[in-house]
This record gives sequence, structure tokens and C-alpha cells, in this order.
Amino acid sequence: MNVISGVICAAIASGTVIILAAIGELLAERSGVMNLGLEGVMALGALAAIATERVFPNPFVGLLAAITVGLLLGVVYATATVSFRASQVLCGLGLSFFGAGLSGRLGAPLSGWTAPVPFQSIRIPLLADLPLVGNALFNQPFLVYFAYFILPPVVTFMLYRTRHGMHLRAVGEDPAAADACGIPVNRLRFLYTCIGCALAATGGAYITLAFTPSWIEGITGGRGWIAIALVIFGAWRPLPLVLGALLFGSVISLGFVAQIQGWGIPSSFLAMLPYLSTILLMAIPIALRSKAVRNLSASPSALGVPYLREGE
Amino acid sequence: MMDSTLSTDTPAEGTQPSEPSSIPALVEMRGIWKHFPGVIANHGIDLDLRNGEVHALLGENGAGKSTLMNILSGMYQPDAGVIRINGEVVNFRSPAQAIAARIGMVHQHFRLVEMLTAAENIHLGWEETPLLVNPKILAKRTKELCNRYGLHVEPNAKIWQLSTGEQQRVEILRVLSRGALVLILDEPTSVLTPGEAEELFGVARALAASGRSVVIITHKLDEVLAVSDRVTVLRGGRIVASRLTKECNRHLLANLLIGQEFVSRLHRVERQPGKPVLEVHALNALSDRGLLALQDLDLTIREGEILGIAGVAGNGQSELAQVLNGLRPVIKGTILVDSVDLVHSSPTSFVKAGVGHIPENRTSMGLVGELSVTDNAILREYKRAPVARGLRIDSREASRFASALVERSSVSVPNMKTQVRHLSGGNQQRLLAGRETHVASRLLIAVHPTQGLDVGATEEVRRVLMEHRNNGSAILLISEDLDEILLISDRIAVMYNGRIAGEFDTVDSDRELIGLLMGGGSISKEGA
Amino acid sequence: MITHTVIPSGRTWHFRRRVDVPIWIRIMIRLLAVILALVLVGIVLKLGGFAPLTLGRKALQQTLGTAYGLQQAVILATPLILTGLAVAVGMRMRLWNIGADGQLYLGAFAATAVALHVKGPAPVMLSLMFIAGAIGGMLWILIPALLRAYWNLNEIITTLLLNFVAVRLITYYAIGPWRDTTAAILSSTRRLPYELPMIGNSYLHIGIFIPIIVAVLLTLAIQNTRWGYEVRVIGGSRSVAEFAGIPVLRQILVVMLLSGALAGLSGIIEVAGTTHRLSGTLSNSYGYMGIVVAALANGSPFGVLVAGFLLAVLLNAGIVLQTSGLSVNAMVAINGVILIFAAVGEIAAQYHLVRKASDSPGEAGNQGQEHVEDEQV
Repeated sequence: MNVISGVICAAIASGTVIILAAIGELLAERSGVMNLGLEGVMALGALAAIATERVFPNPFVGLLAAITVGLLLGVVYATATVSFRASQVLCGLGLSFFGAGLSGRLGAPLSGWTAPVPFQSIRIPLLADLPLVGNALFNQPFLVYFAYFILPPVVTFMLYRTRHGMHLRAVGEDPAAADACGIPVNRLRFLYTCIGCALAATGGAYITLAFTPSWIEGITGGRGWIAIALVIFGAWRPLPLVLGALLFGSVISLGFVAQIQGWGIPSSFLAMLPYLSTILLMAIPIALRSKAVRNLSASPSALGVPYLREGE
Repeated sequence: MMDSTLSTDTPAEGTQPSEPSSIPALVEMRGIWKHFPGVIANHGIDLDLRNGEVHALLGENGAGKSTLMNILSGMYQPDAGVIRINGEVVNFRSPAQAIAARIGMVHQHFRLVEMLTAAENIHLGWEETPLLVNPKILAKRTKELCNRYGLHVEPNAKIWQLSTGEQQRVEILRVLSRGALVLILDEPTSVLTPGEAEELFGVARALAASGRSVVIITHKLDEVLAVSDRVTVLRGGRIVASRLTKECNRHLLANLLIGQEFVSRLHRVERQPGKPVLEVHALNALSDRGLLALQDLDLTIREGEILGIAGVAGNGQSELAQVLNGLRPVIKGTILVDSVDLVHSSPTSFVKAGVGHIPENRTSMGLVGELSVTDNAILREYKRAPVARGLRIDSREASRFASALVERSSVSVPNMKTQVRHLSGGNQQRLLAGRETHVASRLLIAVHPTQGLDVGATEEVRRVLMEHRNNGSAILLISEDLDEILLISDRIAVMYNGRIAGEFDTVDSDRELIGLLMGGGSISKEGA
Repeated sequence: MITHTVIPSGRTWHFRRRVDVPIWIRIMIRLLAVILALVLVGIVLKLGGFAPLTLGRKALQQTLGTAYGLQQAVILATPLILTGLAVAVGMRMRLWNIGADGQLYLGAFAATAVALHVKGPAPVMLSLMFIAGAIGGMLWILIPALLRAYWNLNEIITTLLLNFVAVRLITYYAIGPWRDTTAAILSSTRRLPYELPMIGNSYLHIGIFIPIIVAVLLTLAIQNTRWGYEVRVIGGSRSVAEFAGIPVLRQILVVMLLSGALAGLSGIIEVAGTTHRLSGTLSNSYGYMGIVVAALANGSPFGVLVAGFLLAVLLNAGIVLQTSGLSVNAMVAINGVILIFAAVGEIAAQYHLVRKASDSPGEAGNQGQEHVEDEQV
């Protein structure tokens, strides 16, 4: 019983990081900008969060630091790709190298350090007493509630039930048409790229201030990339994305269980599982679509293409 | 013989309107200059637009009319010049500002987001759209707009599901709902049947009558005479004349349009069509979206014959051309080329059988912009001798072939290594046509071959087609320009909804009947 | 008919898009990107209390100034050039192989498997190892290649995720079944029984010639063969390639497998020529740096040779400066900055600064007039 509850708890916690970063990426990609630098942003956000605790032992200050770092990186990336229209793939990869390298370099003195004041779990009465899921779902730090219960519905509502969301979808599908209607294409792209980075940094902060909660080089472990993969799995919609994050989280926690229970699978192979299962997850939506429409992408049509007004 | 000679009298050219106006113009454009790399699109243009008037901007492709209107609608910034609206100077830095100034443009290639619904597209970028939207609210508001302007669309249909005529209505509604006082329509009838075009003209006149200023950009003389009150002619980026339409006639306009004595020398050799080259029977194929694009289609073309396919875009013409080139899979049916069934063959097999294809989009289907002229010229030759030698490509032979092709097709290139994207549209099309006619010993499929070309290039492409036909090849011509089809084809087939709705010899053809069939009517109906 | 016209304008300085970007500008821009990145690093170092100019001088001295340094640069350049070629060949068709690192590992893995379990005369064994290396790299990119070719699934993520898997796989074997049982070495295999022969008394092994040979072969193949022509057409426009009946799916697979094979080759050369042992730290991010190399080279194999050597010198400088307090992490960060600057520079190169001074039409001016040739179409 405890084991299952523990598995679910770990799955939900693991999933939180992914959801935060993935929804950020979903928003950016909905505006047409693909940000491959998520991993680097997450790493720097994670470092900023825990490093701040050296000075201010308060997780919320750490979170604020992470968000600031995320926004800063977002501005740099958006300036390069939206304002200057440079290649999103190259700039994104550059950003992830930069983030990974810089966080490793700056974080060396903090290696192995545990956050003195991590985020505390907030217990929701009544709901937390539910069998099995109660403890896992309703006795978690607030970022978990934010990631699962607030962010996805808010983003879904914004995208499909508001005028602003309609404009955002238009920008990602056909920026020329949106521009002709007077929608500020590049401004929206800039904004959501920055928001995406801020959310990714928040995901990083969650790792070092709640999940582990300590710092070591490479602690993000590829989660930034997995977040990007999950956006594809979720077909650019928040709710399937959450499902994917949960599935992913479950694979990770199964890995923990296997180690603890001593099922005899070498730890190296268990460590491979998250990445292999992500590839599988990415392939599922395409496999499920009918052959006739398989090659029609579900992605926003203008994804990855810089917008230049004709005649400029 | 198919000569059509125009009057040699060239009336005085000038920019003065033929009647001094007492009403101040709603829009005044003065001294507009605009250039793009390598070409000046607008040379110091002056233009007045008035309320209550339908104003036609007449010019051939490349004359600069779309550029001028794009400047007015905020898409482009002029290099020099002044625009005044109601006497006040304006400077539009974006389409949003123009829209706010009550100027709306319906482009030739619609600015509609395909994946959104008609209602969503209409409400895009509009302050009056409520902050919270849902399909029901948007549909209700859309229906109100439909009723107000007399244009009907299905609110919850996604754009890609609508016909081009319906899409145009969505676009017009969108522009009107923003309170546009100046409505600019860019080549609006290119996607409509003759009947739909008439309806559109009615809408334009009604809008003008209600006090708005309507501008119609066109290259068709009949349209100008049919709907406009005033016409301004552009040529080579300059204004050539601005007159009241009632003072003009076809000859006058044609002269102003082209500016020199223009003789169309298409020489058709009278001949009996030979044996069938292409026989298509019960052809069925799907579109990209999985819908049936060709339904039990039958077609035959003989040697020395041009068959023109008339029809509004979206009725299966693109799919037909692709199927006949091996580019699209066929569900059912046969395609016989010289009695050999090529129905599931690759493009290479079609080429081997002597079938060439001038595709509808030269830059995205026919030519690779970033490769050189030589590389593009050998696209059909690179696998056979002498250009290919084993696995290698013999660069000397390739150059030789390319140079010969360029010479034969009168393509003007500074250097064979130039990237094709630096060539003008006309030169690109000459290169493409030359390359494809070279392999099309039996059948040439030409899709919109003169689209976007100026008069000289258009004439040349048509001459190439005619020559090819005179030499005994079969030609399948697909074009949205009914006049072009009537001009060149020996026989005409009308395509509607993936089928052939009717077939005639050109000499026996009736324009009105064709128009009817294009719109989905059937021959069994009696009377017009 | 060409006429010269004067365009009047009320503005002064103005950015305008070029019609065509000359090659020398594109090269200059990339050099500038690297230089600017280093300047930025210099500024950061200064702020951090280091003395960038002294460090720079020391680095240059020890890398390009000594025979040992030069040879180290060449040794480092070998895998960088090969992974650069791997990424570049994919770039030609707009395919992104971000998994060169993992394919490098699998190439080394396959070669090690052969070396440790098969016996034979050295030349035969080495040849077998090379083949195994190429196959290893190809196998590792096979699934992403299939997913991309048939289902159009984003190859950036799939190839990259497999990098993580590769490291863990190699680590398992290196500290597990194949580990070196002598106490001295903890985390790698035992020394491979076959090595690439050295060149004379230098530190160089004959493997350093392979990237050059491959670069030449690739250039010849892309420019002169039917296959190369098809690759260039697909890279220019997939729809035109389909129009011409070029087997696009097949070429996507071929090019991606080739890319994987090249990365795998870099793996076997590393393990048989330089490190002589397989471990989970075989690659100093060579696969990722290969992306920077390919981006700087703009996809040209010859450019990869130059850019690869340049980055090898940089990497060597980073290693040399470790004693002065810089870490290899900094190298990765610098690579990231170079990549961003190069990407932005590519766009900057498309514009040039133009000055116009006249402000009314028809005025014959002296300076600052802009003359444009217009073609009567």
C-alpha cells in the first residue's frame, strides 16, 4: 500500500517539473517559436533558486530569483530569434549549451549542498485523507498544485475561450494573416517566449527547492528536452500534456521502486527508461492517427519560421 | 489564323483626370515611390479615391498596382510620398493602423488562418470582439454581420473546408466589419465563376452606393467596363491615364494597358487530331485532407490537340495534374499514355513515357531557388546519359545541355551559375517551360502557365504551347483564366467537383454555358 | 532595357536587404561571431577578477606556440571534424542530427566489443573495428531516422534523447562486464589490445588523416554525383524533389544513416587512437561541438575542416587554462555563445547599411544618391 502510494507521490512530483517547463514551451510554440534552450534555462533557474538561499533562506525568494533569471534568458533568446529572426534551432541549442555550461561552472562551489529551507508541503484537509492518491495529490508543495490544478486549466481556457488566446493561435498558424488583421505578431512571440522561459526556470527551481532539494551539476537530467517532447505528445494541448507528464513521472518512480526493491535490473538500464519512454510517447500520437492524415502535422503551421513582413 | 490586332492610335497619355473634380477625394496619394531589390515598383504615383465610387486599378502583372494598394493598406512602407485621408496626412507603419483609419484590403491570396473557423477569422484582431469567446457567441455575431452586408458564410466551418468563393466572402466580411470606408479588392474574380463574379460586382456597387470607396485591382478589361465608375491605368510602375469609365472602351483601355501596338501572333495550324495520347478512365483520387478530389473522371487527349480545363480552383484540377505526373496515388481507374497504363508509376516513368509538366507553382514545385540555372535545367536529365555518367554527373555535359536549353527558350541569364531565385518571374517560367517541353514529346501538362507574368512573357509561353501542339504533341492546359483557355484550346472540358461536367470543341463553346457548368450547374438545364 | 533612376528619400541611414550575400561576408561574419564571443568571455573574466589578456596569451602560447600544443589541437580536431561532418551532411537536407555524441559512443562501443572479444592480426582487427564503429553509429540513429522519414517526427529530440541513453549504456559496460580489473582504473574498460599506429615520434596517430579524407570524399560526392545532386535538390526544396520523382524518404534515411556512421567513426578513432579505453566520459561533448562546427562551416565540408580546427584550438586552450581556474564547463558555455552569435550574424550579413541624403524627386545630387538599376520586365 505504502509502496503504491509512494510511487504515485514520486510520479506526481517528477511530473511537476515537466509540466511547468512543457506548458511554458507549449505557449511559446503556440506563438510559433520553438525554444530548444529549455534545458539550459531550467539549469540556470535551478541554480539561481538554490544559490539565493545562501543569502535569503526563503524558498519564495529563490523562486523569484529563478523567474527573474528565466525572464532574462527569455529576453536574450527572443531578441535573437524574434527581433533579429535568427535560426531558432541554432539559438536554442546555443542557449542550452550556455545554460548547461554556465550553471555547471557557477554551481561548482554549491555542489552537493542541500537547500536549507525547501518548499513545505501544504496539506489540503479532507482530500489528503483519500486512500492511495490523497497523500500523493493533496499533500504537496504549492508548486505542485500550481502545475497540475491551476496552470493547465488556465492555459486551456485562455487558448480556446478568450480573444487573446484566439489571437495567439492565429499567430502560430499564419503570422501573415494575423499581421494583416492588425495583431502584433512579434510582440506576442516575444512575450510568450519570455513566459516560456520563466516557467522553465520555475521548473528548475522546483527541482532544487522541493524535489531533491539540492544542487549538483546536471541535476536537470534532460528534463528540459523531455518537456519539449511532451509538447509534441500532447499535440500542443495542455491536458494531454499533463497526462504525458504523469506517464513520464510514473516511469521514473517505477525506476526508483525497482532499485529500492532490488528487482535485479542494473541501475544504468533503469536510468535509460525515462528517455526511451519519452521517444515512445512522442511516437504514439502519430501512430494513432489514420494513415491518410498522418503526414499532416498537428503543430502550429508557422512553428519555427521567423516572421518577416513581406517587402521588408 | 488567330491574329488580333489593336488600333494603332495611341491617345495622349497623361496623369490628369479627364474631369476636374469638385468633391475632395477621400484618399489622396501623392508622389508614391517604392522599390524592391533590383526593381522600382512605383514611380512617383498620384492617385485619388472618392466616396461613392468604384475605382478600377488596371494594369498587367508587375505593373505595380498591388504594391500601391499594399502601401495604402499599411503592409509596405513607401520610400517617398504622402498619403492624405480626408485631408490629413497619415503614415501607416502597420496594417493595424490602416485598419484603424478605415482602410481594408482583401488580398488576392487570402489572409485567412486556415485552421481557424470562419467566425474566428472574422473576429481576429477586432476590438469589438468580446474578451471571452466561444463558438456560439462568435457564430451569432457572424450571422448578424452576414445579414447586414448580404454575404453568407458558415460560421463554424474551418477555412480549409470552404470553397474559394466562400473564403472570399469571409475575407470581405472581415474587412467590412471593421468599418472600412475604403475597400480594396485585389484581383477578386480570379477565384470565382462568372456568375459569382456578377454577384460580387453587385456587392461592390451597393457598397459604393452606401458612400464607401471601392477599389478593384484587375488586369481584365471587361471587368473594368462592367463595374467601375473610374479607371486608372498603370504600366511599368507609372500612372498612364485616369479616366471616367464611361469615356472608355475596350480598345482604348487595351492600348493604354499595353502601350504599344500589340499583335498576338498565335499561329494555329489546322489539323486533324491524331490518335489518343492520353486516355483517363474512371479516375479516383484523394486530396491531401483525405477527401475525394477526383471522382470517376474520364478524359481523352489526342496528338496535336490542346485540351483546356476550365474551372474554379479547388475542384480537383491540382490533383488531376499531380495524378498525371505520378505525384499522387490513385485509388481506382486507369491512365493510359500511348496505351500503356501508368496508373501507379513514379514521376520518372511518366517522364520516360514522354510526359512533361509545367507545375502550378514554379517556385515551390518546378524550380529550386537556391540552386543554379544549370542545376535546375538538368532536373529531368540527371539520371540519363549524356548528363549522367554512371553514378557521376558530367559537369561539362550538364553545362552544355543547360546552355542549349537556355538559348532555345530565350531565357536571359547573366551567368549559368546564378541562383534561379534571382531571375525574373518571366525568365523562370521560360526556363521551366523549356525544360518541360523538352521531355514532353507526347504530352505536356501546363498548369496556370502564365500566372503572374507580364504581357511579353505571357505571349511567349502561349507561343511555346502552340508550337508544341503544332508539332504533334498533346497538351493539357489547366487555367483559371477562362479567356486564356478560350484563346488557345482546341477543346474545352469544364471541371466541377472532381468530375468533367461538360466537354466542347472551342468553336462550338458558349461562354455562359461554361460559366454555368463551372458553378455546378448541369447541361440538362434548358435556357440560360 | 536598363535605366538608372534616382530614388528620393527623406531619410539618412537605412538598413536594406541584400539581393545576394557574397561568400567572403559570410565567412567574415562567422569569424566575427567567434571573436565577439571571446571578447564577451574576456569581459566576464575581467569582472570575475581574472586577467583575460594574460590568460589569452598563455593559452595561445601553449596551444599554437608549442609543438605539443599544435599536436593536441590536431588530435582534438579529429573527432570534432568528423562530428562536424556528420551534422553538416544532415544540414544539407535540413535534417538536424543532435545525437552525434551518442552515435560517437556507440561507434566506440561497437569497436570495443570487437576488440575485446575477437582476436586477429592488427590490420584486420582495426579494419573490422572501423566497420563496427560505422555500423554502431548507424544503428544508433536508425530509429530516429525511420521516425523522421516515415512519420515526420522531430529528429532533434529523438536523436538527442538517445545521447543520454548511450552514456548510460556505455557506463554500464565500462564499470560492469568490461571493466578493467586492475585496481588503478575504476570507471573504464581495460586497455584495448589494438591501437591505431602512431606517426613517428609525435603524439599523433594515423587516424588524424581520416577526417580530411572523408571531407574531400563528401565534397566530391555532393558536387559531382547523382546522389549529391538529389541531396542538394531535396535540401533546396522538398516539394521540387518530389515533383521530380526523387525518392525523398529513401534519401532522408541514407543521409541520416551516413551522418550516424560518420559520428560512429569519430568514436572508434577516439577509442582506438587517443584514449585506448572505453568509458562513459569518452566524449568531451564532441557531438555537441560538432553542431557548432557545422554551423560555423555553413554545411560545407571544407569549412568544417577549418572550423573544426579552430574549435579544437579553443577547446585545447580551455583545457590548458584549467590550471588557471577555468573549467571545461566554461567551454560548453562559450560554445553556446558562439552558436547564438553565429546565428544572429547570419541574419546580419543579409543587410547592409545604406545612406541616402537627397529629399525630393528629380534632384541631381552629389553624394548619398542611390542609384538603382531597374529592369523593364
